[in-house]
Amino acid sequence: MSSVFQLSAQRWFKMHRSAWLGTWLIIALAAAFGCQAATAAPNPQDPPPVFVQAVADELLTVLKADPAVRNQDLARINEIVQANVMPYVNFEKTTRLSAGKYWRDATPEQRAALVEAFRLTLVRTYTGALSKIDNGTSMEVLTFRGDENAKDVVVRSSVVQGTNVQPIRIDYRLEKTPEGWRIYDINVENIWLIQNYRGQFSQEINRSGIDGLIAALNKRNTQ
Amino acid sequence: MAYARCASFKRIFLISTVVALGGCASTQGPADPADPWENMNRGVYAFNDGLDRGLFRPVAELYAFVTPRPLRTCIRNAYLNIGEIWSAVNSALQQRHFDAINTVGRFMFNTTMGLGGCIDVASMNGQPRIANDFGITLGVWGLPQGPYLVLPIIGSSSVRDGAGDVVNLAGNQLDTIGMIRNVPLRNSIWGLEFVVRREALLTVSKTVDSTALDPYSFIRDAYLQRREAQVLGEADAQALPDYEDYEDVQADEKALGIAAEKSP
Repeated sequence: MSSVFQLSAQRWFKMHRSAWLGTWLIIALAAAFGCQAATAAPNPQDPPPVFVQAVADELLTVLKADPAVRNQDLARINEIVQANVMPYVNFEKTTRLSAGKYWRDATPEQRAALVEAFRLTLVRTYTGALSKIDNGTSMEVLTFRGDENAKDVVVRSSVVQGTNVQPIRIDYRLEKTPEGWRIYDINVENIWLIQNYRGQFSQEINRSGIDGLIAALNKRNTQ
Repeated sequence: MAYARCASFKRIFLISTVVALGGCASTQGPADPADPWENMNRGVYAFNDGLDRGLFRPVAELYAFVTPRPLRTCIRNAYLNIGEIWSAVNSALQQRHFDAINTVGRFMFNTTMGLGGCIDVASMNGQPRIANDFGITLGVWGLPQGPYLVLPIIGSSSVRDGAGDVVNLAGNQLDTIGMIRNVPLRNSIWGLEFVVRREALLTVSKTVDSTALDPYSFIRDAYLQRREAQVLGEADAQALPDYEDYEDVQADEKALGIAAEKSP
């Protein structure tokens, strides 16, 4: 009985091959679009680990697709950072905390200039690392240990850079804002960004004021 | 804070080095409490930097130029693999037994399956390296970092890490590669290790050169912060830096009716 059924099934398949191909195509396309929808724009209202993973995935996808990144094209990397990083970052806070007590003495114009100068410095800092991103690069968020109801949390992650290379530990510090989560500090291999710039900032401000610090950052940015 | 605790420790070292430091004048601006010997350190830093630019860095660049990347990774992994034994010993001394067991496991796995440590198969299987040394052990045992110290050739260190390095030299070098009887071979292996370690840091030094406002304090702050975190370990990773947010301070003052008269 079963052999008869198989035979008829085979004949049915042969007869309707084109129809089957069409169905498969539709399923495949749906799956592809479905996946795309699943990795769509990061949502700052999501739990922090989900949000950070989405930001990283989106950024890596853009970076991998862009040959200009591998050539360390600063202008293009800057564009990508503006489009794919800055919306999820409270960079004003990063700068404010780096400036420490000197922030309150700065005028609104000085603050804005400092934020921009610092942002460009960091773009240049990470340009070398970003240019090494290839198809073997991925970031995996590690088990979340914090309290998701807290207003200030840390998301830990491990970045794999190809085979046979030690993964890099990168942690993100986020704060809850009315618009959702925003990253404001980053830790690479046990070194927090803000903490590492506070000393240099205060040193430079002590020597030549806030304008001096802005000038020093911009001088390096235009080199 | 922590500095009150280490005051006596600091004094001992201050007395012993006060002769050497006699000629050093005060630094410009307020000195960093973690770096009371900044003038001397900057001197040694400048010396190291000159030596690095004139000799070590070009040699490391030449090595990177003539050796294909997979081979470089392999050689570097092999050196790191030898160091695992000492890492495991220190993890055990710090009562971090899981780390010690994992590191021993990594060593055995990588030495066999990873062809003498050349391929880091353990990392690929989800067990990353847990670097450890005797400076961290001293920290875990409660010894404070002490003043920051830049050592000739070695570079960034502190009083505690400098003392730790003496023990590291015995545990990690003299008891491993140092056991090789053939002196020219042993010295070549050590020489290559130096080049390999420097080569691994080429991109870092390039970044520091092009982005740091003051490379000396950039490296110092990064070093001290990283060592502190290594002593605290993964269990205390939630101990986050507490930055004073002056926007909050201002908001509080406004709420309390204290005008921020200092602002221009």
